[in-house]
Amino acid sequence: MDVLKKSILLLLLSGYTLFAAGPFVWAAMMSLRTTTEIHYDHFGFPDPIHWEKYPEAWFNSNYAIYFTNSTQVVLAAVIIVTLIGAMAAHCLARYRFKLNRLVYFVLFSTIIFPPQITIISLFQILVQYGLYNSKLGLTLVYVAIQLPLTVYILESFFARIPSDLFDAARMDGYSDWQIFWKVSLPIAVPAVATTVILNFILLWNEFLFAVVLITDEVNRTLPLGIQRFIGDTQEDIGMIATGLMIAIIPVIVVYAFFSEKLIQGMTAGAVK
Amino acid sequence: MATVTLQDLTKVYDRSAPPAADRVSLDIGDEELMVLLGPSGCGKTTTLRMIAGLESITSGSLSIDEQVMNQVPAKDRDIAMVFQSYALYPHMTVKDNLAFGLRRRAVPRAEIERRVKEIAETLELSPLLGRRPHALSGGQRQRVALGRAIVRDPKVFLFDEPLSNLDAALRVSTRGEIAALHRRLGATMIYVTHDQVEAMTLGTRICIMSGGRVMQVGAPLEVYHAPVNTFVAGFLGNPPMNLIPARVAEGDGGRRLAVAGESLVLPPARMPALGPETALTFGIRPEHVTLRRDGAEAGASLAAEVLQTEALGAETIVLAALREDRAAKVMARVAGDAGFRVGESCRLQFDLAAAHVFGAEGDVLRPR
Ligand SMILES: Nc1ncnc2c1ncn2[C@@H]1O[C@H](COP(=O)(O)OP(=O)(O)O)[C@@H](O)[C@H]1O
Ligand SMILES: [Mg+2]
Repeated sequence: MDVLKKSILLLLLSGYTLFAAGPFVWAAMMSLRTTTEIHYDHFGFPDPIHWEKYPEAWFNSNYAIYFTNSTQVVLAAVIIVTLIGAMAAHCLARYRFKLNRLVYFVLFSTIIFPPQITIISLFQILVQYGLYNSKLGLTLVYVAIQLPLTVYILESFFARIPSDLFDAARMDGYSDWQIFWKVSLPIAVPAVATTVILNFILLWNEFLFAVVLITDEVNRTLPLGIQRFIGDTQEDIGMIATGLMIAIIPVIVVYAFFSEKLIQGMTAGAVK
Repeated sequence: MATVTLQDLTKVYDRSAPPAADRVSLDIGDEELMVLLGPSGCGKTTTLRMIAGLESITSGSLSIDEQVMNQVPAKDRDIAMVFQSYALYPHMTVKDNLAFGLRRRAVPRAEIERRVKEIAETLELSPLLGRRPHALSGGQRQRVALGRAIVRDPKVFLFDEPLSNLDAALRVSTRGEIAALHRRLGATMIYVTHDQVEAMTLGTRICIMSGGRVMQVGAPLEVYHAPVNTFVAGFLGNPPMNLIPARVAEGDGGRRLAVAGESLVLPPARMPALGPETALTFGIRPEHVTLRRDGAEAGASLAAEVLQTEALGAETIVLAALREDRAAKVMARVAGDAGFRVGESCRLQFDLAAAHVFGAEGDVLRPR
């Protein structure tokens, strides 16, 4: 009986894993095959394995530049959005002041707008301030679009920290600023890790704002790089797959690293 | 080494509600352990938090060592507080919890080490220094919370119901520890509780509060034996003082009380002479009531019927209703082997030399 249950569960999980990992494995295989081979047999195994496609993409197709750009923009945006978001959340959760809930509501309500609505005005604003087609401009836009969700997640977490803890820290001689760094933030590590992962993945894959706000080759991020292999008349499927793999690897690394922290933090019973 | 003076300290949270603390005035001497005692919601925590600097002061003044502290932020008041919830930092080890307050105060590293170690030893926390709070029992957390206050060597200690989350046995032993701590440190302490046993056993003086106001301040036995009003009389003691409505009757120099169709004559030491028909409240503690089947004195006893008995072993608590006024109930503390049964008729004999008389407003009436 128990064995039967387990086998069914295992079967279901294997099915789901195949379903979820299938496209990834397929893209990974295509990244090691040439476009001609792929056209010949869509699902074939890489044989011979074309490792040289990776250096090819990296050096000859500007992937080194895209990768650096993506890293710069996304890292900067994630750091800024985490810091500002955590401070705002701490403030909204902890201090009673007039219009507290109004500020929170206005910030949060922007989540419901589809991004297309803001893109034209953002374009205008960036052009006006000379930030159009620059990594700085894109970074600021990324901070802005991810801020509401970040504040939302962190606020609900900070609100659950008992206020006695802050009072205890005040009695221990700490200022509000120090309390944020030494009490709020360390306790909120699991929540912060969640927002870091979320923001990193969403921004690393972000295409819409990037394609509208960046035109120069030297400022392109990875999702835009993949466009390079899509010509007017034909697509270089093989190289698109290689580019995809280069783009995906950091996401996996970040997830693997932070999710472990995440689980650690949660199981340690951080808030108690 | 500190005195704390509260002068008309008032806190209004909400203009439409009565003040949470209403003109609280209190002088706390050096090395004193002052207990703020009162029912839940009477403003004890609010008062304590104003002293701590965690709550702004609406009006009145707070001084520590003669210096007005109203505007001094909590972090600069050099006060330590033990919270009801303990409020240990969950992300720090016990050791870091203890050291956190010292690190801020630029105490040299070696000195911090030494003090943390010393405190950990006195509180038997040494084996737990590397643990985080979630891996401690309630009693251990409580001791860390105590240690965190002691290690800083502050001017004033504040305790907000520190024992209310402990089980009964631990509460008694920790109570003893706090008393010992107070003797050893000779520090000024303010201790909030709703538990009169804690108040009676710990306090050098007790401040009894109700509805945001101070009702009475005094040494434990003083407030027990000489309550200034019916609130204090009815709050202290377990069971509390019996309070029975009465009127002044003719004769006996204005000290004859008509109660439930009979009369009681109070000694001049316990009651001023009053005009006939004055409405008042007659108060007597359960230990000053005895039950008699016969031989009760006229003028010092009332007819009653036993409603309920609670045998506690050494003594029995008897609840009786007056025969002529069954709404008036009296508790008596009698010997464990007295053997009164429910429904039995008896006379309640009062030791009137220990009686109290309160006026219509509830304030005690004492002979001039
Ligand atoms: N932050 C607050 N905001 C509004 N009212 C409060 C606040 N804290 C306490 N009160 C009110 O003040 C009164 C006294 O509360 P408190 O000092 O906590 O009582 P105690 O500690 O004696 O139980 C209560 O009526 C309570 O509802
Ligand atoms: Mg309280």
